[in-house]
Amino acid sequence: MLNQLLLNGIIAGSIYALIAIGFTVIYRTVKFFHFAHGIVYTAGAYFAYTLIISLHLNFALSFFLAIALAAILGVAIDRLVYYPLRQQKASNLIFLLASFGVVIFIQNLIQLIYGAQILTIRTGPIKEGHHFLGAVITDIQILILAVSIILMIFLWLFIQKTKLGKAMRAVSDDPIAANVVGINPERIILTSFAIGSALAGVAGILISFETNIEPTMGFSALLKGIIASIIGGIGSIPGAVLGGFFLGLAENLGIWKISAGWKDCIAFAILIIFLLLRPRGILGNKTEKKTI
Amino acid sequence: MEYLLHILIIAGIYIILTLSLNLIVGYTGLPALGHAAFSCIGAYTSSLLALNMGMSPWIGLLIGACVAAFSGVVIGYPAVRLKGDYLALATFGLGVIVYSIAKNWVSLTRGPMGLPGIPGFSILGFGLSEIWSYLLLVSVFVILTIFVIKRIVSSPFGRILKSIREDEIASESLGKDTTKYKLLVFIIGAFFAGIAGSLYAHYITFIDPVMEAITILLMVIFGGMGSISGSVVGAVILVVLPELLRFIGMPSSIAAPMRQMIYGLLLVVLMVKRPQGIMGAYRFK
Repeated sequence: MLNQLLLNGIIAGSIYALIAIGFTVIYRTVKFFHFAHGIVYTAGAYFAYTLIISLHLNFALSFFLAIALAAILGVAIDRLVYYPLRQQKASNLIFLLASFGVVIFIQNLIQLIYGAQILTIRTGPIKEGHHFLGAVITDIQILILAVSIILMIFLWLFIQKTKLGKAMRAVSDDPIAANVVGINPERIILTSFAIGSALAGVAGILISFETNIEPTMGFSALLKGIIASIIGGIGSIPGAVLGGFFLGLAENLGIWKISAGWKDCIAFAILIIFLLLRPRGILGNKTEKKTI
Repeated sequence: MEYLLHILIIAGIYIILTLSLNLIVGYTGLPALGHAAFSCIGAYTSSLLALNMGMSPWIGLLIGACVAAFSGVVIGYPAVRLKGDYLALATFGLGVIVYSIAKNWVSLTRGPMGLPGIPGFSILGFGLSEIWSYLLLVSVFVILTIFVIKRIVSSPFGRILKSIREDEIASESLGKDTTKYKLLVFIIGAFFAGIAGSLYAHYITFIDPVMEAITILLMVIFGGMGSISGSVVGAVILVVLPELLRFIGMPSSIAAPMRQMIYGLLLVVLMVKRPQGIMGAYRFK
């Protein structure tokens, strides 16, 4: 039982970590809470559903197409909504509320097209999973773990080693100085939205293989992603990964004794504890504290 | 005619919600996103008391409002210590939590199936089954709310709220315990939201968990933050406007998401073009 809960925690954690690093990549360059990140995740799942079930495309092709579509959606949100706000130098809250409007708009658009009921991509009988150290793991769960870990490593290498990654770090640290040395901030913002949204899309697609999808699935996922980023230390990519796994494990160990419906409450309680006692998170630096 | 009265009742309930949120968001400047959660708590409390214990809706309404106010303490206590985005996040989290409790505590709330057959109000044994009598009841509560909120914002207490909104550090330096005032505002707002939720539940006679994040906030912003008449106008327009969709013959399965899409789009457009709303006195800093 304990091993199974630990395994479930790690799998849930890898999804949270994917959402959280996508959120963090965007947060680092724009410095506001991009709530519409959750709807990109939902859209990723629905893109996969449309491509696989409605258009009968091949599994692998659909996977990559859906990721590309999620990235395009993220960039489109930035161009259509955030760009005009940036031109006006709007405050963070204005950005946050506008992104909330985007969430409600797209979520209901999805509901209009696909209906409010749950949909499922899985076809055929459910296969029995593999037994591993007293726990059961399915093929899809192995895929989730493998894909998320590979993506985390790739992202880390990209940010640390490539020129574009370096430019992203520069804009994150000091946008004005970055601009002075010739880095175009708009280009970096576009790149962040494309990468971050692709990651949210991947998380949504992976989860759509594992469970049912519904238009409101993004709310809880977004909350987990932001909570993971905050408890890891907002703006820190290793922090987001750590926070994601921490949250996944805490939630799944927490429901050992109580019903599974309380997962969201556990996550939220953890957020409140962190915000009050250690607002900079596990890996965050001290200077961030002032903004809370 | 019946339909028109129905719209007016719904608009009245939203006016109460909008006014009480305006006190938190517009007058005190706290970006709270979880206001619907308070009304949900009020609605469930008074419905469950009526259904399970046969309690009169009047007492249920009062207890529902008090439970909502208490939840305002529980969420407000950590939330008012946070600023800006983080406060928005914490209150949004509250909304998700209340939704998830209403959906998952099936033995109490019947989960997504909702609570049917909630009894209506009655006065001295006479049921308020006529729709106009319910409109009268809601109107009394609307007027009461307007009166109380107006008194609050024009009192010295209200001036402290506005000073917190304009410059919290300055009002702290004048010796005001801003945390205490912010918490009080949360409690008052939650109390009225609880009343509105309970009024809604006993009118519709059915409630189920709905994730409602922006409607009330949109009404506050659209009408104008920190303006009472703005809140009334905002709530009425945004309740009536989507009803036009039904007039042109849209079935409700399309009209409901369409209505939310309009709200979402309107919020984005407002943020880009006019963040202070139609008659607002304040915009988010």
